Amino acid sequence: MREASERKNFIEEEDTTEVKKSVKHASETGPTVRVQKIKKNRIKGKLIVFLILAGALLFVSLFARQLCPYDPYKQDLSAALQSPSPEHLMGTDRFGRDLLSRIIMGSQASIYSTLLLVLIVSVVGTIFGVFCGWKGGKVDSVLMRISDIFLAFPELVFALAVAGVLGGGIQNAIFAMAAIAWPKYARIARSQTLAQKETPYMYAARLSGDTTFQMIFKHILPNIMGPVLVTAMLDIGTMMMGLSGLSYLGLGAMPPTAEWGSMMSESRSMLQTYPWVTLSPGVAIFISVMIFNLLGDTVRDYLDPRQRTK
Amino acid sequence: MKKKLLSLGLVAGFAIPLAACGASTGGNTNETTAETTTASASAETTTASSGSSTGTKSFTYGTTGYGIDMSTVGTNPHDGYTGWATIRYGVGETLFKYNKNMEPEPWLATGYEFVDDTHIKITLRDDVTFSSGRKMDGQAVKECLEDLVAKHDRAPGDLKIANITADGQTVTIETSEPCPAFINYISDPYGCIIDMQVPEKDMIIAGTGPFIATKVTDDSIDLVKNENYWGGDVKLDELHIKGLNDGDTLTALLQTGEVDATYGLPYASYPLFENNSAYKLATAETSRQFFGKMNYNSEFLKDENVRKAICMGIDKEGFVNTLLQGHGATSKGPFPATFEFGDGKITAPEYDPEGAKKLLEDAGWVAGSDGIREKDGKKLSLTWLTYPGRMELPLLAESAQATLKDIGVDIKINQTENHKDFWKKGDFDIYVSAMVTAPTGDPEYFFTTHSLSDSSSNHEGYSNTELDSLAADLHKEFDKTKRGEIATKMSQILIDDNAYFFASHLQMGIFTKAGVTGLEPHPCDYYEITANTDIN
Repeated sequence: MREASERKNFIEEEDTTEVKKSVKHASETGPTVRVQKIKKNRIKGKLIVFLILAGALLFVSLFARQLCPYDPYKQDLSAALQSPSPEHLMGTDRFGRDLLSRIIMGSQASIYSTLLLVLIVSVVGTIFGVFCGWKGGKVDSVLMRISDIFLAFPELVFALAVAGVLGGGIQNAIFAMAAIAWPKYARIARSQTLAQKETPYMYAARLSGDTTFQMIFKHILPNIMGPVLVTAMLDIGTMMMGLSGLSYLGLGAMPPTAEWGSMMSESRSMLQTYPWVTLSPGVAIFISVMIFNLLGDTVRDYLDPRQRTK
Repeated sequence: MKKKLLSLGLVAGFAIPLAACGASTGGNTNETTAETTTASASAETTTASSGSSTGTKSFTYGTTGYGIDMSTVGTNPHDGYTGWATIRYGVGETLFKYNKNMEPEPWLATGYEFVDDTHIKITLRDDVTFSSGRKMDGQAVKECLEDLVAKHDRAPGDLKIANITADGQTVTIETSEPCPAFINYISDPYGCIIDMQVPEKDMIIAGTGPFIATKVTDDSIDLVKNENYWGGDVKLDELHIKGLNDGDTLTALLQTGEVDATYGLPYASYPLFENNSAYKLATAETSRQFFGKMNYNSEFLKDENVRKAICMGIDKEGFVNTLLQGHGATSKGPFPATFEFGDGKITAPEYDPEGAKKLLEDAGWVAGSDGIREKDGKKLSLTWLTYPGRMELPLLAESAQATLKDIGVDIKINQTENHKDFWKKGDFDIYVSAMVTAPTGDPEYFFTTHSLSDSSSNHEGYSNTELDSLAADLHKEFDKTKRGEIATKMSQILIDDNAYFFASHLQMGIFTKAGVTGLEPHPCDYYEITANTDIN
């Protein structure tokens, strides 16, 4: 009661000066809210555009087989290295295979592998991080030091070493990339879990008889999904580059699998003589990575609390 | 003012790294190419710059043939395949050298004589000195050959040397058994004669060639001319060998003028230089063969019909004409048609996909829903083991994968640097590799190392008693014509058994700047830089 009356007196004392200020402030707040609303709408618009573009990529990769104008694996040596023409819009490679068909087919390997990789690392990292954050103590210390060890390695170099030991193949490349990428998610999930664990509603949940399982799945995970999701979205482009890089170095998809990185690798010596063979998969990687990166940025902006209007 | 400062800052920001790049390039390329600016002008500027700045004629040769990957690091011919570097870059020379028909001709020797089946008397030139200054005489050759058979992995088995006697400018070699191809074998790069009184130091030895190595690393050799070369004046003052395992880098180096000649350019880069007057291409058909061996221990390949269908299902013409862009020749057997015992006298299955399908159909292999044939519930799926070190092999694998799929055979490619581990363990169905089948101009080497029941490189379980018996005959036969006849029969057996398929012979190509002379490939793939190599 005493606290409440003191607070009331304080407000009354401030009133006289605040009234004057508020007139000026009101004239500023109005446009700020409007600007924020415009900004928010813009972000929403961008989000829709990039979601449509990403959806289009996923659609192409999902129905790749049906969309290919030719069999992407059918060789016709008599039609080798043809430049782009109405018959072959992106030309043909040295085996006479239609490049457009291979690019479309390659989207399956490139995009789905990347999404699978991001899914694996985000799920594994989150489980790891939540466990550490929840459990705390020595278990947390030991497990987080393990994640620190992985974080200490340069990403691509470590992935190269792992893929080199395991040998070629897209599965091995995914494993190699996953081995180095999960700690980032573990750290995010752990810090968020630690923060959530100490909130009053968690105490209330405990008092109301929730089990650990319920508390994690009903309260912790929904509240930490935002940052994890944003990180995952931003990671898609990077992971796609990483996987394509491994394939380019001969440690990812193996021939004749249509995969953009390995297609670039196979044709790298033709960059000067038959540039379309190298540039076609390169442009496909560029466009896809750009779309997923911009989508990730937009999702981050959209979920950013500072962008929320009052 | 602020804008001016910003512009100045930006210019400085760009200029400093560019200047640094320029400096590093110059530093890497020695004075030879320091003043070279464009590819088209490089032929003229390279020599001019080196000549005017240092007064020496320098030459840089980029090659994929030197390096750890090719097992050719160093200059000591008594170490594995290092002799290839010794002879290719003018450090060492052999007693006999092959002519364009792969017949041995005197080089450091003046002649030879088979005293009897196990004694060969070789007469040496009287005017040869090592780079150490020592005269090459019978004693020097004796010391060298004794060290060779004591240290080398292949030489003792090839040469079968039991005893060597030196007398002035002659050496008499006694073999433990008749060795009709002795002169061919001794002409292998491991037979380079070096001065054994000069111990090898930092991978440098004293040879008799036109150049003396001064610095040898895993990916380069620096050499200077041998002022006392017995074979006459050496045109170049300095020679720099750059070993690279990436053909695209080599392409860029030739374009920028950092190298004066290249060996091992990717075929895709040929159009960049072929119709350009600033460059020249010299080619030679070699006995380097791209071939496959069937694993007789494979449950599928025990069936002769499957083996034959595979041989009929590989499009060799397409491989050579399209994928090698015509820089090769299709093969029937292990040796090119230029050899007396080569492709001209044997027959092999042609590319016939329909015939292959019928063969498999008749043998009970029925096409499944995915087009792959099955028998007794097992899909006809085979592992094709190969390696990426030879750029043609992955192309052959991918091409064969497609054509064999058309006849209903599924090919899984295992393309790995560790191919030898898989091969030795028998973990493959078809092993496809490349090798010089007649490195000595004689057919015996290929059969004894690969195809006989007890051959060291027979990991396929292949055995044919007639072939083994013919090999024994070949081993004893001194008459060259008869040796050729036996070899032809042996090649035909390999093909008739469908134990091997021979896809193509390599056409070796050396691109040089237009002003380069005296650098041409040789069918044996051994001789490259000579005393006559020059740049103008």
